[in-house]
Amino acid sequence: MTGNPLPDPVRRDRTIAALAAIAIGIQVLEAAIPSPVPGIKPGLANIVTLVALLVLGWRAAVAVTLIRVVGSSLLLGTLLSPAFWLSLAGALASLAMLALLRPLAPRHLGPVGLAIAAALAHTSGQFLLAWVIIIPHPNLPLVLPPLLLAALITGGLTGILAAHVLADPRIQRHVRTRKPDPKGNTD
Amino acid sequence: MNPGDLRWGDAVIGILASALVIAAFVLAYFPAGEARVLVISQAGASPQHEPLDRHRVLEVNGPAGTTRIEIEPGRARCAESPGQRNICEASGWLQAHGDMAVSLPNRLTLQVLGSEPGFDSLHY
Repeated sequence: MTGNPLPDPVRRDRTIAALAAIAIGIQVLEAAIPSPVPGIKPGLANIVTLVALLVLGWRAAVAVTLIRVVGSSLLLGTLLSPAFWLSLAGALASLAMLALLRPLAPRHLGPVGLAIAAALAHTSGQFLLAWVIIIPHPNLPLVLPPLLLAALITGGLTGILAAHVLADPRIQRHVRTRKPDPKGNTD
Repeated sequence: MNPGDLRWGDAVIGILASALVIAAFVLAYFPAGEARVLVISQAGASPQHEPLDRHRVLEVNGPAGTTRIEIEPGRARCAESPGQRNICEASGWLQAHGDMAVSLPNRLTLQVLGSEPGFDSLHY
């Protein structure tokens, strides 16, 4: 626990629900914007995952992200379709990467590095699912490099935006990004 | 965003990620798709397969004259052909899977094939 008055599980659940609702809203809005290149989108909803991770810990980030994936697919009508599985694979891969890097934040690693690593993991996870199960074509790896480049750019942008959100006094007031005791356990 | 928000880990991840992207581009696009074999198809004859292993020159006779085909490791070209407009020669070196040169006067097509086929088409 971060030491702020969050032990109250009801309050924590409400925060997670609110963050998930924001993430679903962002993802649905983003789905309405046509992408210039198929397969590439900004992934702005990941800002919410990052905020949840850095503020509430990785369990909350997992909860927010899974609720977002299921909730937005319900709204978009893609539940259990290939788009849903791709979204889920990307989300799980990026969450695994974030769980791996979480101990380094915030002392050695900021939101930008986390976001870039998570974006690359997201793209790689999606790609693996697509290649192994959905379209097992030997030439599919040829589309991977542009997707990774896009992930690098969008991940960096997402990280910068997440840093802005975390620096906002309204966020800072409600939640603490720095642990009061540096040796304290985060989650 | 303040520069103070960036930690050294961000720089490390940024550099590693950029290296990964560059490596992905190099691995995916440069060595793959190399042509391995030249298929010479002429009307009325069975296709002839020539490996692209060493430098040599082949001459194929057709109804309009002689087409001279130059082969080098990994690529081939139509060096001289009787066509008036040099369409066959204009195809240049054939080096990616599927590259093709055609000589209509000699009823001849040259196509290189690789073990790693390139794009046929992309759909989303």
